[in-house]
Amino acid sequence: MTRLPVQPGEVLDRTKSLSFEWNGERLTAFEGDTIASAILANGNRILARSMKYHRPRGLLTADFWDPNAFVQVGDDPNVRSAHRLVENGMDVSAQNVWPSLDYDIKAANGVVGRFLTAGFYYKTFMKPAKLWPAYEKVLAQFAPGGKVDLTTPHMYHDKRYAHPDVLVAGGGPAGMAAALGAAESGAQVMLVEHNHHLGGSLLWGSDADRAAAAELAAAVTAHDNIEVLINSTVTGRYEDNWCSIAQRSHHIAVERLIKARAKMLVVAPGLIERPYVFAGNDKPGVMLSGAAQRLINMYAVKPGQRAVVFTANAHGDSTVADLERAGIDVARVVDARTGGNVVAAKGGSKSVEEVELGDGTTVEADLLITAIGWTAPTSLLNLAGDRPQYDPAAARFFSSQLPDNILVTGGIAGDGTTDQLVAHGRSTGQHAAARAEVVAATLQKLTTRAADYDGDVPSFPADNRQPLGRDPHPELFRSTTHGLVDYSEDVGSKDLFAAAKEGYDSVELIKRFTTATMGPAQGKLETVNTVAVLAEARGETIAEVGTTVWRPPYAPITLGALGGRIFEPVRVSSIQPWHEANRATPILAGQWVRPEHYGNPDAEVRNTRENVGIIDVTPLGKLDLRGADVPKLLSMLYTNKWMQLPVGGVRYGVMCAEDGVVMDDGVTGHIADDHYIMTTTSSGAGGVWEWAENWLQTEHPDWDVHITPVTTAFTSINVAGPKSRELVAKLTDVDLDPEAFKYMQVRTGTIAGVENCFMWRIGFTGELSYELHVPSGYGLHVWETLLAEGADLGIKAFGLEAQRIMRLEKGHFIVGQDTDGLTKMPSVGMNGLIKLDKDDFAGKAELADSINRTDLPKVVAIQTTDPTIVPFEASQIVRAGTNEIIGRITSSRMSPTLNRSICLGQVLPEAAEPGSTLTVVMTSGERVTAKVMEHHAHYDPEGSRLRI
Amino acid sequence: MTTFRQFMSSSSLSTVKDAGTSAIDSLKKAKSDPSKPPRYSAAGLLVKGAKSEEWPRVWREHDLKKSYDVVIIGGGVHGLATAYYLATNHGITNVAVLDKAYLGSGGSGRNTAIVRSNYLTPEGVAFYDRSLSLYNTMSSDLNLNVMFSERGHMTLAHTDSALRTMRWRAEVNKLQNINSSVIDPQEVKKLAPSLDVSPNTRYPIQGALYHPPGGTIRHDAVVWGYARGADHRGVEMHQQTEVLDIMVEGGEGPDGKGRGGKVTGVKTNRGDISAPIVVNCTAGWATLISDMAGVKLPINTHPLQAAVTEPVKVFLPTVVVSGSLHVYVSQTDRGELVFGASVDPFATYSMKGSLEFTEELAGHVLELMPNIGRMRLLRQWAGLCDMTPDYSPVMGFTPVEGFLCDVGWGTYGFKAGPVSGEQMAECIATQAVPKLIAPFELARFERGDLVGEKGAAAVGH
Ligand SMILES: Cc1cc2nc3c(=O)[nH]c(=O)nc-3n(C[C@H](O)[C@H](O)[C@H](O)COP(=O)(O)OP(=O)(O)OC[C@H]3O[C@@H](n4cnc5c(N)ncnc54)[C@H](O)[C@@H]3O)c2cc1C
Repeated sequence: MTRLPVQPGEVLDRTKSLSFEWNGERLTAFEGDTIASAILANGNRILARSMKYHRPRGLLTADFWDPNAFVQVGDDPNVRSAHRLVENGMDVSAQNVWPSLDYDIKAANGVVGRFLTAGFYYKTFMKPAKLWPAYEKVLAQFAPGGKVDLTTPHMYHDKRYAHPDVLVAGGGPAGMAAALGAAESGAQVMLVEHNHHLGGSLLWGSDADRAAAAELAAAVTAHDNIEVLINSTVTGRYEDNWCSIAQRSHHIAVERLIKARAKMLVVAPGLIERPYVFAGNDKPGVMLSGAAQRLINMYAVKPGQRAVVFTANAHGDSTVADLERAGIDVARVVDARTGGNVVAAKGGSKSVEEVELGDGTTVEADLLITAIGWTAPTSLLNLAGDRPQYDPAAARFFSSQLPDNILVTGGIAGDGTTDQLVAHGRSTGQHAAARAEVVAATLQKLTTRAADYDGDVPSFPADNRQPLGRDPHPELFRSTTHGLVDYSEDVGSKDLFAAAKEGYDSVELIKRFTTATMGPAQGKLETVNTVAVLAEARGETIAEVGTTVWRPPYAPITLGALGGRIFEPVRVSSIQPWHEANRATPILAGQWVRPEHYGNPDAEVRNTRENVGIIDVTPLGKLDLRGADVPKLLSMLYTNKWMQLPVGGVRYGVMCAEDGVVMDDGVTGHIADDHYIMTTTSSGAGGVWEWAENWLQTEHPDWDVHITPVTTAFTSINVAGPKSRELVAKLTDVDLDPEAFKYMQVRTGTIAGVENCFMWRIGFTGELSYELHVPSGYGLHVWETLLAEGADLGIKAFGLEAQRIMRLEKGHFIVGQDTDGLTKMPSVGMNGLIKLDKDDFAGKAELADSINRTDLPKVVAIQTTDPTIVPFEASQIVRAGTNEIIGRITSSRMSPTLNRSICLGQVLPEAAEPGSTLTVVMTSGERVTAKVMEHHAHYDPEGSRLRI
Repeated sequence: MTTFRQFMSSSSLSTVKDAGTSAIDSLKKAKSDPSKPPRYSAAGLLVKGAKSEEWPRVWREHDLKKSYDVVIIGGGVHGLATAYYLATNHGITNVAVLDKAYLGSGGSGRNTAIVRSNYLTPEGVAFYDRSLSLYNTMSSDLNLNVMFSERGHMTLAHTDSALRTMRWRAEVNKLQNINSSVIDPQEVKKLAPSLDVSPNTRYPIQGALYHPPGGTIRHDAVVWGYARGADHRGVEMHQQTEVLDIMVEGGEGPDGKGRGGKVTGVKTNRGDISAPIVVNCTAGWATLISDMAGVKLPINTHPLQAAVTEPVKVFLPTVVVSGSLHVYVSQTDRGELVFGASVDPFATYSMKGSLEFTEELAGHVLELMPNIGRMRLLRQWAGLCDMTPDYSPVMGFTPVEGFLCDVGWGTYGFKAGPVSGEQMAECIATQAVPKLIAPFELARFERGDLVGEKGAAAVGH
């Protein structure tokens, strides 16, 4: 096999020669060569070995779908060598071979092949069970495919959005004509071609074909309304023509995902030539007519010396001339239309040597070309709900029910001369443009916020296209012998017969049992032959057997392109620069990064309890609620009452889901008439907003309430400690007199010169405290002013850890930590806040029942007998002497204030009485005793410190 | 306690008696089951291979009879396992399994086949542990290799709170003798070198719950194995047989359905069947079926999507799950990475995949394994999941006599197939609820006694 002299249609640039490595050997190529064409041009024939039997394989289709041409290129596994172009310096190697492509030990599998029928592994290795893991390791060795390099960096992968009026999938004659037809009608068109050149099958056709292709390509490229993407594939068509396009021709990205909302999609992918099933049909040298034509006409490669051509159509016929022009001796042309048949390709494993024909004769040849028909790649249509139907006269499937926003043209729609295909394409493009206008008008009408559409929505224009005919074609699937049906999976027709006989006799079952059609081409070469063989086995027609549902994507797409640039923003408060400058240890809390501590959390606790501390609590969820009906909403969301909260008042509430399970808690302040601010837990902020909107939008659209999430609009700072009043007084005009501004009240005013702040007296820490909420732009300023003014009061910033310790000392539970997905409100000991006399609230029905239950677990404060032992959070509490779980520790710390270990936990009622002794299991398995406390608060249970 | 036999003989269904197929008859039939099909074995493969002989059908085809003792709706792992254990453990063989498509066409043929027992609640752990032990011996029990791959199951924790939940699970597991522990990022790296355990990622891996007995299984093989086993014992599998209605008499509904009613049979596209016991094993379609009997289930059906890549040489030896990143991944022996995520957020019966799913999935996978961006996604699909409020199933009796449910399997029901079949069979045969499934009765929703598996099942599978 060698390079031919210059061919009229070759796509090579012979002035640019490239070099690359193939299995360690240096080869040369011309620019425009695919990896496969270059390897062949250098005199090689075998590119890969098959998955199961490791049989040597040569090119079959010489295009993207070739099952025999997967190679490793550098760190890129499973590269389609008959599609990927050679680049200078590429490192290409065969995959799935050991030790080498020429000599592969696993080829021994071929010898025992008759025992390894499809699905053989289901029938063996059951015993002894102990050995299965060892067998499994061996099976895994046979995994096909290349190698992933675990040092490959995540590359540039931005995505693009597009909104073409008409998206054309396929740049053959019909597709190009469709693009032109649509563009000339004024539509914005995106034309996507899978291969490297526009032209489709014309590229490897006659001189006239190529001239026609060139003319169309020039027109398409020149048209302002058409964007052409080559080496790109429409990989999926989702709801409403939401189309994914894998662009492999981007100048930076290895592969880029384009997401297009196409008003109309024109599907024109052409046809995929189908292999013939007969003995030896995977021997190197057996190839499809399209493969031979591509190799000779486009890549100037001579695929063999002496050929037999088995043809059932004009493409096969025209291949004969191409072969002869390339100097190949055409030993025999076998015409299926006059009853000719090919029975077997024989010879060594590395090449076909002779071909046995249906008439009993044998012809010597190293090349066997088959041209027995096509598969219509209806995948994109399937994704749109189409169920293709088989036409026995044309021997292929056709679409049966397309949605209005999809049209088809070209080979998938019918047959014709180039002129007829072009005419059909052009009228399809025009029709698509007309429909796109209707789609646009309809969208405008439907979209609530769009400007009103003037006038009536036009209806779809009549479809006056002259349909393409369907050429009769003999039905040829399997010869009188058995051969391979799925090359990638090494599944033969014999396997399929056996599977069908065994009862795996529907398309779906046979596919699952034998794995036929499950390989990299996802059935594009294999499905129809599988169906045909199954039909034969069942004695039914292909139409009766039906076909499988193709699943997206149409062609594989890299994870890199799909994942795109990884965009996971981090939220920080406006005080973050100070935290960083002061060496805060960061902690990830949901979307937020916040200071866990500034070096010594225990000291932060002590200072806050003795002097004054400040903490950045910006992540606290904040919702601004306005309108006359806010109290109604609050009453609906929280279990307690809200109708009477005066302006200036703050109230705590617990929110339950409909199943009575605690979902959030927080305080809400009444800022002014018809104006409230609600706070939620940091992690609950998003969920609570949605929950509130859900009630408003679906249950009470009549309520006058507007919700604005303002979590990041305000920077929130809690000032806590006995000296907090003294400190805040230095900064604000708000009257802080304990009589004028009581615990659980809210005030608005100026803080450190910043207007429009609000503050409330509440405290998670149990100390006198003021929570300041200042417009975020001034957050850092207020924080620094507090520090400066508090210097003489011993002020210190404290982090999340100190706050957690202090809240635990005070026995405040954290939703989601001390409660879980089943903790109903009565478990947290706040039944006083459940107001069943309210008309309605979320969870009422459930709580009305569970409030009387005596079997619900309880949240209790727990102290270990040995004060130095801190059981880790999640330690289980068991019934003494057993493994029976009756509770668990949910929070635990060493308290710097009390100098002992303190905990919160959940226990069953039997063990929840104050004074009960508990058995706690430590990680080590050791069991320690602990005691249930009377109050949730370990420290200052009366709450006297925060009311001063 | 009424046994199945007493229930059957007290049954007032004349059709059943006319047909002369009481449970006792079928018991006898089971004993004298004539068909002794050849066993699968390596030797068998050799002999058949050498003689080019065929294997008999995995399960046979039958005409639909007018009546059966038990009709099971749904030919997924749950329906088939129930039939298999009815026949094997209780000798009840006059059983029909009906499926509107082919066996395994529902969730059982679409799942990612992860099995494990490291659940959160003692009820859950006991139940799934039984299933795991049935899986362990399944290949030899069913004489068909289901390729149980005990490769270990790792649930990553990216936050403090996730780590706390992992510890909680590990502690519960340990107390029940389940091999399960929390491991640190270095150990994570050792088990799965492709994971990025550095602190520089957006959601650094802080540790993981590691469960060595977890793994994957060949889902189709399980389905076929149970079908074959049930067939050998006389159960009939009917594909392309859709149940269109359930016949109920005496219920409080206007049409005699609903609470207090009694099942008399089902209507199908191939004709009516009378049966005193009808079992709903239809997962994603569960509420459609239970509605036919007038029974309301607290179930919503959501799609769950999955995808596989092209094969590459095996590099990921264990199952990796990340709740925070909503993704889990394992690599098959064929070399494909199999991905799953959490259910789609809306209820629908549509099984179309979405582009967004693949984008999010790929993004999250690359956060975990930043170096595999060149791998290619080969295929995506969706299945239906029957979600309950407490991520636990609905099993056992319903307010309609003779109508039983084994549904609510959500995103995690494949692994429960064996134990569910075993226990449902016992429930049917003894007409009493076995202890293992008592926590999962439908009545729990009336009592308000939900099971707390949400935390362990949400993305865990
Ligand atoms: C993508 C995905 C991934 C999953 N991953 C896992 C996992 O890793 N681990 C795990 O344990 N679980 C997993 N699951 C869940 C698991 O697949 C299901 O819970 C389980 O398969 C349910 O089995 P089943 O037998 O109850 O139902 P199915 O297998 O769904 O069978 C129900 C059957 O009922 C039939 N049917 C419906 N209506 C009718 C009718 N009217 N008449 C007759 N027949 C009818 C259907 O055709 C179907 O075959 C996953 C699910 C999905 C979708």
